[in-house]
Amino acid sequence: MTIVPKRLAVKFNLKREPRIQPDDLAPIFQRWIQEHTVDGMLIDVIDYKHVPEGPGVILIADEGDYGYDLSDGQIGLQYIRKRDLPDNLPDALRLTFRQALSAARQLESEAPGDLAFDYLSAKITFLDRMRYRNTSERFDELHDEISSALSGIYGASVRLERCYDDPRFNFALRSTVNGDLPADDVVEGLTKNLTPV
Amino acid sequence: MTTWKEQLADQIPETMGILIDTYEAQIELRKQGKLDEKVFAEQRLRKGAYGQRYDNGQRHDGVQTRQLSYPSGELVKGPDTLWDAPGMQRIKIPYGGLTARQLEVLSELADEYADGILHITTRQDIQLHYVHIDDTPDLMRRLAAVGITTQEACGNSVRNITACTLAGVCHDEVFDVSPYAEAMTQFLLGHDDVQDFGRKFKVAFSGCAGHACGLVKMHDLGLLAQTRDVDGEIVRGFTVFVGGGLGTVPHQAKVLVDFCSEEQLLPLTQAVSRVFARLGEKKNRNRARIKFLVAKLGIDEFRRLVQEELETVPHDDRHTAYLDSLGDFTYEPAKAGMSLNGTAMPDGFANWYQTNVYHQAQHGYSAITLHLPLGDFTAQQGFHLADIARRFVGDNIRLSVEQNIVLRWVADADLPAIYRELHAIGMGDAGAGTIVDITTCPGTDTCKLGIASSRGLTAELRTRLIERINLLPDAVRELKIKVSGCFNSCGQHHVADIGFFGNSRRSGNHKMPHFQVVLGGQWHENAGSYGLAVGAAPAKRVPDVLEALTNRYVAERAEDESFQSWVKDLGRKAIKAMLQPYMQLPSFDDQPEYFSDWGDSRVYTIDDIGVGECAGEVVSLFSLEIAKAESTHFEALLALDDGNFHLADEQAYKAMVLAARALVRTKYLDVGDDYDNIVNEFRSRFYDTELVYDRFAKGKFARYLFKRHDQIPNRVNEDYAHQMMDETQLFIENIHTAEQRINGVIVS
Ligand code: SF4
Repeated sequence: MTIVPKRLAVKFNLKREPRIQPDDLAPIFQRWIQEHTVDGMLIDVIDYKHVPEGPGVILIADEGDYGYDLSDGQIGLQYIRKRDLPDNLPDALRLTFRQALSAARQLESEAPGDLAFDYLSAKITFLDRMRYRNTSERFDELHDEISSALSGIYGASVRLERCYDDPRFNFALRSTVNGDLPADDVVEGLTKNLTPV
Repeated sequence: MTTWKEQLADQIPETMGILIDTYEAQIELRKQGKLDEKVFAEQRLRKGAYGQRYDNGQRHDGVQTRQLSYPSGELVKGPDTLWDAPGMQRIKIPYGGLTARQLEVLSELADEYADGILHITTRQDIQLHYVHIDDTPDLMRRLAAVGITTQEACGNSVRNITACTLAGVCHDEVFDVSPYAEAMTQFLLGHDDVQDFGRKFKVAFSGCAGHACGLVKMHDLGLLAQTRDVDGEIVRGFTVFVGGGLGTVPHQAKVLVDFCSEEQLLPLTQAVSRVFARLGEKKNRNRARIKFLVAKLGIDEFRRLVQEELETVPHDDRHTAYLDSLGDFTYEPAKAGMSLNGTAMPDGFANWYQTNVYHQAQHGYSAITLHLPLGDFTAQQGFHLADIARRFVGDNIRLSVEQNIVLRWVADADLPAIYRELHAIGMGDAGAGTIVDITTCPGTDTCKLGIASSRGLTAELRTRLIERINLLPDAVRELKIKVSGCFNSCGQHHVADIGFFGNSRRSGNHKMPHFQVVLGGQWHENAGSYGLAVGAAPAKRVPDVLEALTNRYVAERAEDESFQSWVKDLGRKAIKAMLQPYMQLPSFDDQPEYFSDWGDSRVYTIDDIGVGECAGEVVSLFSLEIAKAESTHFEALLALDDGNFHLADEQAYKAMVLAARALVRTKYLDVGDDYDNIVNEFRSRFYDTELVYDRFAKGKFARYLFKRHDQIPNRVNEDYAHQMMDETQLFIENIHTAEQRINGVIVS
């Protein structure tokens, strides 16, 4: 069985440039802390929007962080699971996707019509250079296991590609749902498949 | 499963590896409740693993204070510091010098263990935030494998030794101070004479008197390069300053020695350290920096004591050994120097060239400054920058006390190309060293002591100033702004033209974040004079304060008049009157926005302030030393569990020697590391005198040590190893009891 990474992240990018500005995010995340809007023990909000293509604004929690992430020139919602990952990769992916999805849906509801995420595609980052070196060999080794786990999550087959060739970078994959499935159906399936039993 | 420890075993220097293993064992002991929380806290701090805001398990969310229930429950990593609470890892980068490979590893760590950001401090360190303590041993191993240590990065120890960023390439320097800063770093790291300070000790080197770069006058120990003609030969040395510092009460350093030769540099530093360790305040941390000792004794008496101490400093080959290799300290540029001729200039290059490029003393080369917002950069920028460095400058990277990165040895002909590449990764901002290049401490973002949001204010001022930078008169553009989140001055506000430090005021039933305005500090001449506090304004009015000040300065200054001299001439009273309109406190009902800090939508509170760890825990030298013995004993137990009986025996023996050394050092600081010496001193001072005798067992426990020391076992089997473990445990207990009895702490 593949060992789970130390940290695992899932990011959904926005479909289009929003009117909402990164400045608006800290107050939203502060309120999420007050109202305990998302899962986890919520600790703090840290603002790095001044750093170009950086982690943006992050809601720090004990188990995992929620970020309005600006990296790669793509605005998105990223959830980074830092601890208590299940001990098998499919479940670890499922948990991380679930948290990312629920935070992204929550964020959409803060600015209806303005914030809309593309759920058909996701960036999955394995933050663990010991076990997940960013090489094509490692990609080949893991491809089938990850793609089968993601197919289970989406209820549809997915295409995987590496985000970066540079071996110093994190092992990060872009997953995209194959075919021309209606987005709403995929999201509905995703939500259903990720609902804890 | 492979671990970083196994994977990097061949790359980590042995001494660093042992220190990290010991620290990891201490983590385990602390988790089992077998290591006192204060002792562990000091050990942790000395490894650079620092607390962060909210680590006491409380957070005010703007409505009420809530408990943060971390999974490890009540387990603490220091007084009031919960185990699972995210912390900050400080990483020492001596004189800010980095290689491309080191930059890559730091970047890897930032995104695997922290929040993806590397932060440069005003001491040329790197800090990573939101790090879990359980990750710190591996983080340290990965650093050690590329020659970086976090040892003594915090706590009551010698902090990162700083030096001019331009050392070695500067037109005005007397000589390159970098190799001396390196030699002193190596010499003092872990040195016995710097382990028993009541507070931190900061050292800086500067290559000349006139510029700011080394800031020697605001340091505990400042070394200013000088040469002297001795019998027709030019010899190198330093003017030695002592007792400077910022903090709540800033002190200008005093000259300890006009000229200290390079041969005497390390012995003199050692003598200063010994005097500070012996006579410095230990109980009241607010008066424990060396500046208070110098002020109390007077510089003449302090000098006399140091001279006296110098006579007793034991001979050490290392005092002068480094001088033989000074010539090896050279720089390898990636390219031959070439002038900038006829190359096409990209957009924005001219502005950047004006503010960020310094022509080196070496013809055809420049040093360029990467002006970083709030001292932050991302892991990905770090990787790209390492590539750029390799291509253009090699390993000639330095971090600056103004929280920037400096690439040295850029061939002038490459300036447009490197600008283009830096711009592409978001590191090509112009304005280095100008009013937009604001220095700031972490403040309420992450610091437990922060009162107001220094980073929030800095981000706001920076955004506004960048918008207007081209409209600002030169006199304003050249001003320096520095911001601290509280009076502790980590943002160095005392030495800025315009400084701010956080405080708070009450209006009705609500607290309002404020910044005290400090004007006319001097950055030049090595932080030659400190600014005047002229009054506090609500945080939200600080941008208006800045505008009022700069407008009036421009309108009234005489030609070429500096800001310092204008402030001095105008006087505190007139300035206060000018700022008065901005200092009014509105009511909460009228202007609620004043009751939130910059970048923070919560209603302001200071309920989140915790107990700072800047000072470290004041723990006796004995406690620190015996903790090393205990963790070594713990490692012996692990070896026993692994069936490695030989290693278990060796570690247990070492633990006994370390315990004996802990006791010996309470009476004889210079006992050194030699096992024979330690055992002999222990025997004559504590065994022959019966000071370690147990009421019933008499000298039995001490004889466990003598037995093992006198006879190396022929065969170590499991039974023997077990027995060694028990004897070591009893011996360590015996040392604890003896120390309490001898030093009169607990007698029961
Ligand atoms: S100046 Fe105050 S707020 Fe800023 S880092 Fe230092 S102690 Fe913290």
